[in-house]
Amino acid sequence: MKKLVILFGLLLSIVANAQNTEGVATYVRKEHWIKITNRLTFLSQEQKDREAQTWKNWEEDNKGIKMKLTFTPNESLYTYLSDEPEEGGYSWRKSDFFVYRNFEKDKKNDIIEMLGKTYIVEDSLHAPIWKIGDQIKEVAGYICMKAETEDPIKKQKIVAWFAQDIPIPAGPEMLNSLPGLILELDVNDGDVVIEATNVAFKKITPDDLKLPKQKGKKMNDAGYNTLLKEQIAESMTAHRNPFGWSRIRY
Amino acid sequence: MKNICLPAVFCLITSVLYAQNPVSPARFTLQGRAVDTLAAPLAESTVMLLSAKDSSLVNFTRASSNGSFAFKNVKSGNYVLKISFVGFIPYNEVIKPATDAVMDLGDLKMKPITRELFEVVVRTAKAPLTIRGDTIEYNASSFKVPPGSTVEDLLRKLPGVQVDQDGNIKAQGQDVKRVTVDGKNFFGNDPKQATKNLQAEAITKVQVFNDKSEQAKLTGIDDGKKEKTVNLELKEEFKKGGFGKITAAAGPASNKVSPRAEVKASYNKFNAKHQFSLVGLGNNTNQQGLSRDDYQDFRGSNAYNANNNADFGFSNNYFYFSDSGDEGLGIPVSGRQGVGFSKNAAGGANYNFDTKEKKWSGSYYYNQTRLQLDARRLSDFTLPQSQYTKDEASNQTNFNGNHRVSLRYEQQLDTMRTLVFINNSRYGIGNAFLLRNQNLTRSNGAITNNRSTNASDQRQFASSNSLIYRIKMHKKGRSFAVSGTYEVNTNNATLNLDSYNTYSGPITQADKSPDIHQDQKNDIVRSEYKASLQYVEPFAKRFFWETFFNFSLRNDEVNRDVFNRGDSRYVRNDTLSLYYKNNYIYNRLGSSVRYSYKGLNVSAGLASQRFTLNGEYQSYQPGQINRVFSTLIPNVNINYDLKKNRYLYGGYSVNVQIPTSRDLQPIINNTNPLYVNVGNPDLLPQLSHNVNAGFQYFNPGSFMNLYVGLNAAKYVNQIVYSQNTDAQTLVTVIRPENLSGGSNYGSYIGFGFPLKKTKATLDLNGNFNIGDNPTRINGVLNATRSQSYYTGARLSLTPVEWLTFYGNANLGFNYTQFSINPDRNQNFTNNNYGGELTLKLPHDLYINTSMNYRVSKNALLNFDQRIPLWNASVYHILGKAKRAEIRLTAVDMLNRNVAVSLNQGANYTQSETIQTLARYFTVGFTYNMRGVKASMRRESY
Repeated sequence: MKKLVILFGLLLSIVANAQNTEGVATYVRKEHWIKITNRLTFLSQEQKDREAQTWKNWEEDNKGIKMKLTFTPNESLYTYLSDEPEEGGYSWRKSDFFVYRNFEKDKKNDIIEMLGKTYIVEDSLHAPIWKIGDQIKEVAGYICMKAETEDPIKKQKIVAWFAQDIPIPAGPEMLNSLPGLILELDVNDGDVVIEATNVAFKKITPDDLKLPKQKGKKMNDAGYNTLLKEQIAESMTAHRNPFGWSRIRY
Repeated sequence: MKNICLPAVFCLITSVLYAQNPVSPARFTLQGRAVDTLAAPLAESTVMLLSAKDSSLVNFTRASSNGSFAFKNVKSGNYVLKISFVGFIPYNEVIKPATDAVMDLGDLKMKPITRELFEVVVRTAKAPLTIRGDTIEYNASSFKVPPGSTVEDLLRKLPGVQVDQDGNIKAQGQDVKRVTVDGKNFFGNDPKQATKNLQAEAITKVQVFNDKSEQAKLTGIDDGKKEKTVNLELKEEFKKGGFGKITAAAGPASNKVSPRAEVKASYNKFNAKHQFSLVGLGNNTNQQGLSRDDYQDFRGSNAYNANNNADFGFSNNYFYFSDSGDEGLGIPVSGRQGVGFSKNAAGGANYNFDTKEKKWSGSYYYNQTRLQLDARRLSDFTLPQSQYTKDEASNQTNFNGNHRVSLRYEQQLDTMRTLVFINNSRYGIGNAFLLRNQNLTRSNGAITNNRSTNASDQRQFASSNSLIYRIKMHKKGRSFAVSGTYEVNTNNATLNLDSYNTYSGPITQADKSPDIHQDQKNDIVRSEYKASLQYVEPFAKRFFWETFFNFSLRNDEVNRDVFNRGDSRYVRNDTLSLYYKNNYIYNRLGSSVRYSYKGLNVSAGLASQRFTLNGEYQSYQPGQINRVFSTLIPNVNINYDLKKNRYLYGGYSVNVQIPTSRDLQPIINNTNPLYVNVGNPDLLPQLSHNVNAGFQYFNPGSFMNLYVGLNAAKYVNQIVYSQNTDAQTLVTVIRPENLSGGSNYGSYIGFGFPLKKTKATLDLNGNFNIGDNPTRINGVLNATRSQSYYTGARLSLTPVEWLTFYGNANLGFNYTQFSINPDRNQNFTNNNYGGELTLKLPHDLYINTSMNYRVSKNALLNFDQRIPLWNASVYHILGKAKRAEIRLTAVDMLNRNVAVSLNQGANYTQSETIQTLARYFTVGFTYNMRGVKASMRRESY
């Protein structure tokens, strides 16, 4: 009798599983370029202040770019929400950016267009080392806990807020492997903030998680990290911002 | 309840997935059960195992339906077990190395967060709530209080905190005994002191916790008593600042040049909402106005504004930046070295107030220049049957002073509606004295020598006021905008003109023209009323339909009185005196459709335009003008953002250029008695059909860039300046008229690439331009074809941090053909070679030197000028904080500077040489509160 109850419960949970553990989360990614420019070591304080004072109203008007994360308990795909023109009606081309994760097989597959090329990064997950904090807050209707890590290549402090009651190890950008779905990311104290606006649970088909066919330079994590490291160092030597449009994603 | 067994299933998967520890002997199983204070299970709690060292996540799982959880195969060590459950205070327990294979922690009781705190703080205020043991931390910025509120007002807003009428504070039901600021007592022990005196704005966090009593702290003996304490954490005011900068330099008189001095100072103060700045400068080193950087520092967030364009429709300018110099309404920005000898002074104040809803900006700026200009101009004129040369020497002293006021107010009425008001005004006073000597030499050697003096004085006032109202509709992409503009221009000027002619060579009586002694008075008032409407409708997915209407009414009123002096009589000159009044009405209605998707933006549209001119003038031959001019103007535009940073654009447009007031007013301007300008009230707008296309590529990985562009224009009713030169007196009358058939073709190309990444870059560029411009010379149609070819190369060497070198070579060639006299075709070249070296030496010592060599040649004029300019400076940055700099500067060490230019007109080529400030030396000192930085590199970040 007891076994039957468990079996029944198990069946029920599979149904529930589809409803509560797969779906699409929508995010808004806002880049705060004044803060990023302020970190460029080759600029003088005068130049940094000038940038900040001149462009502050423009930055305030920045509405951000919408991103989406399609997730199931075992897989996730993160990319731009849509190619439709933004509110002003003018359409900018978005660089290819697809981040695929398979938690079951411990695999990643990213398609990243930057620096004038398309890179295809395949490797195992290499989860970051997360530190769990004691703060809670609400994001998009979910109570989230705070976790922190550091990007060893871009030297960024990363704060993630993960939902306690969405038991999915997925997350936006290239971050994942927390006990719950990451609903907010804060890179370097607000330089870039990616915040979920909505989580919609629905049945996900394999097609929703399919990467587009793309040609590009294949590499693994180590190769990709070396590329970033070199490009950042070169740009800083040449007094250019390594981050930004068609450059490295901050 | 539904996914009753899911946690167990998930737990299995995740523990397999996330157990990062390989199998080894010293391992144990950690298990327990998450329950609430009444021992009811907390199913599905998140259970995390953290490293005790740095609280990094080692493993995680979910509790099962009965709250139980287990970590198997855990490596022996120090851990922190953390359990979280929505609505409960996170549970933390330190796990010491295990002694048994299984460590059972039993029931782990979690305390609920007070409902009020949870619902109000976390859910409603969306404030992150930090729980550290007993401490609960509120984020102050999440609780809105009106500006100027005290901390007491802020505390009243916090859930779980009560403040009574006397200011006594209770937190979670207990009296607050102590308020600290950044952990320190504030004015003794009365908690009300801090909360009543501190501004809420200054606080970033409020922490409520139980602290040991003062007694216990003093004696070090914990008496077990706890006091409710509130700690206020002050904001780090990183957004607040003030800074100033001053540079002063002076040098002795040398080599016929009087002592030189320059000073420039600025001060800025700002915080998140306010920006205030002052700027001032003065010099006699030809530095006119503010540099781009100075301008940005001065105007702050108002340096560049979007939404400033009140004229909707085709050729929308998103940027509104005035660089039209002293005549414009905006603050002149140049940073260029002026010619001649000038004394300059400027100063201003700017204030900006920016919040999300309201943005205010106001600025006042005054600048003045006294310019001394000694020029020599050699020209070669071609007439249908003859030719002549002109040798002109002039010296003039000009004074110009301009007061500028600019105001801007932008209000976000709600999320959908925006209102912008812009006012820019200028009041200018100026006077000038010009002495000119012109020799016109005919081919037979007969010479007319003209000596003239102009003494002039003018006052100008100009003001432009716009109101723009924009509405975004609920349907995404639908919008409506309306604007109104009022502009006014007044100009009161007087001119005292004296002109004498003398003659030499085989001259006849008919070759002579009379002397002139006149007083001229001009009063001009121009006002313009404009209105614009715009409506954008997204009529299909990715398609936008824009419709616009522009209306403008302009009134010009000119009163010109000319009096002849001489023979002790003062007589009104009826030929030159004039009263003139006209109205221009301009209407444009247009529509366009745009498609936008994935970086492709294509738009096509058509507008209909109607221009009506009504005028009447009183002069020696009174008259009336009534003209209507209608035209259709198409517009096509393509922008394509391609993969791999390639960008393609192109377009076809018809531009309509309305004649300027100066060209329309039938004024006879005899300021230069040998070259008289006459306005043409019959002038029609100029139409040009323009085609352009281009391609750009930039690779941020390899730092390579390429750009190519083509443009072509064909003119209808081109406004050209036809000339009538009296064959005998050589007095030329220049009059604008409409002529069709002109065209212009141009192309440019640029290619830049690193020779060695980050160390050496080569940029190459070239362009050519072919223009065909018809004009009437003495009634004969003259087609002037001018061709110009430019090519340039720039080498940037930045091999090491302590050395940079920039070298450039630019070659320019012009070829001009005149159809009326092909024998007179001529060419000239302008070549420029330069190099700049900067060296950083030890002890913050820097050397900068630049050499520029300019070659200007025109064979026909027998003109060949080669000017080397060699500048150098040595500077030392002082002090540990690097805030000061001392600098020795040598300008034009070879003492060769003169301003030379070669140009061509409808039927002439000309060389101009202006005596300009040459060699001088200065010693300068700079103090910058934010630090001085040596600029080794030319930066574009």
